[in-house]
Amino acid sequence: MNPCLLCMKPISEVASWQSFFALEKKKTLCDDCSKRFVRADIKEEGDVLDAVHSLYEYDEAMRDWLHQYKFMQDVALAQVFSNELRRAFSSNDTIVPIPMHPERARIRTFAHVEKLLDGSKRPYVQLLTKTNTSVMGEKSRHERLNVEHLFELVPGAVVQPITYRLVDDIYTTGTTLRQAATVLKQAGASRVEAVTLIRSIQK
Amino acid sequence: MNKPFDPAVRDFLDGRIWLRQHTPFSMEIINEHIESGMIETTAGVTMKKGLFGQISCKCARCENEDPQLFTSFNCLQCEGPCAYCRNCLQMGRVSVCTELIVWKGPPTNYPTEHSLAWEGTLTKHQKRASEELYESTVRARPHLIHAVCGSGKTEILFEPIHKLLVAGKRICIAAPRVDVILELEPRLRAAFPSTKLEALYGGADVKAFDAQLILATTHQLYRFRHAFDAIFVDEADAFPYTAEKTLQHAVRKAAKSAAPIHFVTATPSDKLLTDIKKTGAVSTIYRRYHGHPLPGPRYEPLWNYSKQLSKGKIPKALENWIIQRLDLNEPFLVFFHEIELMMKAEQAIRQLDDRVRAVHSAHPDRKQHVQDLRAGKIPGLLTTTILERGITINNIQVAVVGAEQSIFDAGALVQIGGRVGRNVNHPSGDFVLFHNGISYAMDHARREIKRLNAGGDQP
Repeated sequence: MNPCLLCMKPISEVASWQSFFALEKKKTLCDDCSKRFVRADIKEEGDVLDAVHSLYEYDEAMRDWLHQYKFMQDVALAQVFSNELRRAFSSNDTIVPIPMHPERARIRTFAHVEKLLDGSKRPYVQLLTKTNTSVMGEKSRHERLNVEHLFELVPGAVVQPITYRLVDDIYTTGTTLRQAATVLKQAGASRVEAVTLIRSIQK
Repeated sequence: MNKPFDPAVRDFLDGRIWLRQHTPFSMEIINEHIESGMIETTAGVTMKKGLFGQISCKCARCENEDPQLFTSFNCLQCEGPCAYCRNCLQMGRVSVCTELIVWKGPPTNYPTEHSLAWEGTLTKHQKRASEELYESTVRARPHLIHAVCGSGKTEILFEPIHKLLVAGKRICIAAPRVDVILELEPRLRAAFPSTKLEALYGGADVKAFDAQLILATTHQLYRFRHAFDAIFVDEADAFPYTAEKTLQHAVRKAAKSAAPIHFVTATPSDKLLTDIKKTGAVSTIYRRYHGHPLPGPRYEPLWNYSKQLSKGKIPKALENWIIQRLDLNEPFLVFFHEIELMMKAEQAIRQLDDRVRAVHSAHPDRKQHVQDLRAGKIPGLLTTTILERGITINNIQVAVVGAEQSIFDAGALVQIGGRVGRNVNHPSGDFVLFHNGISYAMDHARREIKRLNAGGDQP
């Protein structure tokens, strides 16, 4: 039995027929740790970006998780929300993760959005590339809203007139997702929606 | 063999095993020292394929080998399969492609002039233990100071530490818990005013690179390697030191190969006692420094306390006990086995006096509340086992709610009882175990206290 990914304590699991036949995914967190994450399911609509579904609010538990995952580089934490993320999509969705600049991904040693999707076992297509190494998290709100041209299409990528679903870890001002949606729509996408794990509401 | 090097780099790295990317020095300086052979690099994690193709990993920093505590992934840095150690993740991730550095140049020479400013006198029991401990240090054999709570364990260490410092040795006092380190730091700073001393715990940066006397949580010792001529492990039986094998490895690794590791505790486990009797020596002190006996526990039934407390009601016997403490103006500690139940109890007890607070390991104001209790600003605290050791408060009265719970083993109960009557002016006090049935551990603790008070004879 693997210990809880966050507190390292052993996980108590009740044996059931589902777990016996491996129909149930193994728990990655203990009950106490999973209780800290409360689903918010915030849904918003817009014009460039037709709809955004955020699974959790940016609270203390999420801040700790994101810090350990992205900045302490704890790749194992990609598994924590794999069930929730899988259920946020249906099997015929075309999923497009928000890319990292290759140089930054090399420094982090992994691309965090893609690893989240890998954990959830949803296939995705990488249609976009990042044009520069700037980081949203280091900018002020004003700077964020005024950045231009963050993404372009991967050379040779074909965008069809269908619905694409973008995925990112956190949705703050929305600039990242809107810019990615603009690129896809200009290339011919009929509708662009987004799923983010976290919604950060600015005060 | 007189290659130039930066003495600051030597002082910092000598005895340490550190991430190459995260030193207080610039990359250029580190690279120069690597080129001149002063610094050696090693892979952070080594991955080996076993006989049947199973992969086994070992972390060079914390020596963790538990396959559950490694995560392998496809790394974009080394462009291939990589693995990192989750056991010491909080100190910066160590993976296969991370480099750790160790000092290979000439070692730091530590000063040999140190003053011992402590002016108290040792009781004859303390003096004997102190001499025996020094004797063991000279003969490089492990030593256990088994001394009851409130017998002045720290003072026993002063003489031997002073003698070692004067010989130019580097010393470490390690403890599993931050609280113990924080309590020790000012006392040692006062005792050794001319010695470079540093306290290391989670969140504290390395400031004095050439500290000769280091106080550290056992976790911090992951980052040391062959550094110390002697290590004193205080409260050696506390969680998580006994539970985690890697912490015990870390202490061994932080000591030089022939250096002895000494233990100091009031409640040694049977395993520690038998282990140390094989290779080392034991000094036992049964009397507190003021000569009064340890207060024995009093049993009081508190049937169905968890049901009543979760309904927000205080059981009558507990309520009376608290009211009595409030009336007599005596500070009190109430121990609980579980945070959730304690929080329910806090709400109910604050109806009696709104100043009462509850603390647990993750509580943000935990240090402040303990200080307030010591200063008399609040009449009492509810606590989990985090305050079971290392805390000294004048005339404190102690109750345990749910003393039959398995978290309160005999050692924990002896430690909890050891909070009572530590001061010469208040050498006794109430130590009550509220229970829902008497456990073996409770009887064991009561027997042990009796045995200690009788001078160590079998009761």
